[in-house]
Amino acid sequence: MSPRTFRLTDSALAALGAGRPDADTLGTLRRAQLSRHLLLLREIRRAQPEAPAWFARLTAADPDEARRLIADPMTGLWAAHTLRDGASADGPRPGGHSLHTTCADLTLTVRVDDADPLRHLLGLTPAGPLSGSELAHWQRCLDDAWRILVTRHRPAAETMAAVLRVIVPVRPDPAAEGISATSAEAFGAVAMSPPADGTALAVGLLHEVQHSVLNAVHQLFDLVQPGGAPGYSPWRDDPRPPLGILHGAYAYLAVTRFWRAEAPDARVAGAVGGVAGFEFARWREAVMAAAEGLLAGGHLTAAGTRFVTALADEARPWLADAVEPEVARLAGLAGADHRVRWRLRNLTVAAEDVAALAAAWRAGQPPVRVRSVPTAAPGRALENSPRVRLARTLARGDAGRGESDPVLTPGGRAAAADRACLRGEHGAAENAYEECLDRDRGDDRAWSGLALVSPHRAVRERPEVVKALASALPEAEIGVLADWLAG
Amino acid sequence: MDAGHDGVEKPTEWRSVMIDLADASLAELVDRDDSTLSRALRRLTDDLTRPGEPIAGFNSAV
Repeated sequence: MSPRTFRLTDSALAALGAGRPDADTLGTLRRAQLSRHLLLLREIRRAQPEAPAWFARLTAADPDEARRLIADPMTGLWAAHTLRDGASADGPRPGGHSLHTTCADLTLTVRVDDADPLRHLLGLTPAGPLSGSELAHWQRCLDDAWRILVTRHRPAAETMAAVLRVIVPVRPDPAAEGISATSAEAFGAVAMSPPADGTALAVGLLHEVQHSVLNAVHQLFDLVQPGGAPGYSPWRDDPRPPLGILHGAYAYLAVTRFWRAEAPDARVAGAVGGVAGFEFARWREAVMAAAEGLLAGGHLTAAGTRFVTALADEARPWLADAVEPEVARLAGLAGADHRVRWRLRNLTVAAEDVAALAAAWRAGQPPVRVRSVPTAAPGRALENSPRVRLARTLARGDAGRGESDPVLTPGGRAAAADRACLRGEHGAAENAYEECLDRDRGDDRAWSGLALVSPHRAVRERPEVVKALASALPEAEIGVLADWLAG
Repeated sequence: MDAGHDGVEKPTEWRSVMIDLADASLAELVDRDDSTLSRALRRLTDDLTRPGEPIAGFNSAV
């Protein structure tokens, strides 16, 4: 008898898109991943004339134990690696420390894997073997995270319990506060730097579990057609293809829902505030913008359109939630800050276009039309914005701390400009950023800050063009150039 | 992937080319030759060779 193909009802696919899969659907995804591992292992075995030791080990095991070993995320990673690169004859060897945490009647069991020689394939630099105190830190954070999730985010906790199997500790990135990653080849495994606390772990795991779920769905059904050009993604500093943007939107759907549910504790006069309100306000806009961009972009398949429509339908009502005006302003500023930094990092104007613009300026003619084009392969990036960090500090209600925030202490003039920017003192901030640019017209931190506060449309909307032209015409005033460019 | 229809606008179910082997044993699968297995495997191996970054990363400070 032929095996049955995997199927999902339309309502199950829509529920997945909305980030609310039920237990049956998650069971289907797990069976699909077990089937994937079995197929890959079969292919590896059939390519060898003799049964290797790993095959003998797996086939001699008790059926339930064999199934558990085969379903392990690191087995999937090993199998994909071996088929692609033909390495590692030893076979999968899940290792590490098993951690359990229970709240109410729900238990999460994960293996903290600090031993698998292939764990670097999750994409980040693995930490070495954990000490007793490091393992205790993971257990403490896991207990705290699980209590938060089970008591206030029960459906998300149930999804996590059904999906998450392995955490691979990785080295922290000095350019970021906390980093984590997921590979499409290891369903249920997460690479993560040591979390600061239970909340940070809860948010990071929610985020990464969404990636695993989306990877499993995408292995069943193509959601995105190949070939889409990389574009803006509100949560990455590098350009992302449409599937990458979908990954971000889906992961942040869960993050946004988390902060929305956390926000009532920070409710003042009916509007949410504090860090929860800040994160909620920032990411609801980003998720909706990304979802709408995907739906309008023409790269989704029929299944992808169904999935993303459900995602957008889930997030759209959140736009109507009241957020404390000052917190909403800071969240909007953080979102705009990311977009202008992204433009300055990833978009450029061809040298001949800059020369044509400069010639038109010198001749007293109107500007020629120029295109902003992506720079060549800038690669994956994790960057920290001092303004976003200050925005979080202010949203926390810790306004005085902004004066002495260590992240702003170096840099003097730029730090003062950022503080004025974050306080909404646009005139003072504009002057301070322009002073920075008088000294160095290549200063991207000043350009991105200026783009947030400038009254000149060209600076706000196409800072990379104004920067290129202002660098070619150092004698010209930036505001005058910007007005000329805007026509 | 295929979409089954019941005559109305939305498909009633979404069908994958991937097959459910979760109840099979590895030894049994190694011995089996089957075109549906080959088709499903091709989808997986295509994924392995697809260009692009398989990693989705998260920076909590972004």
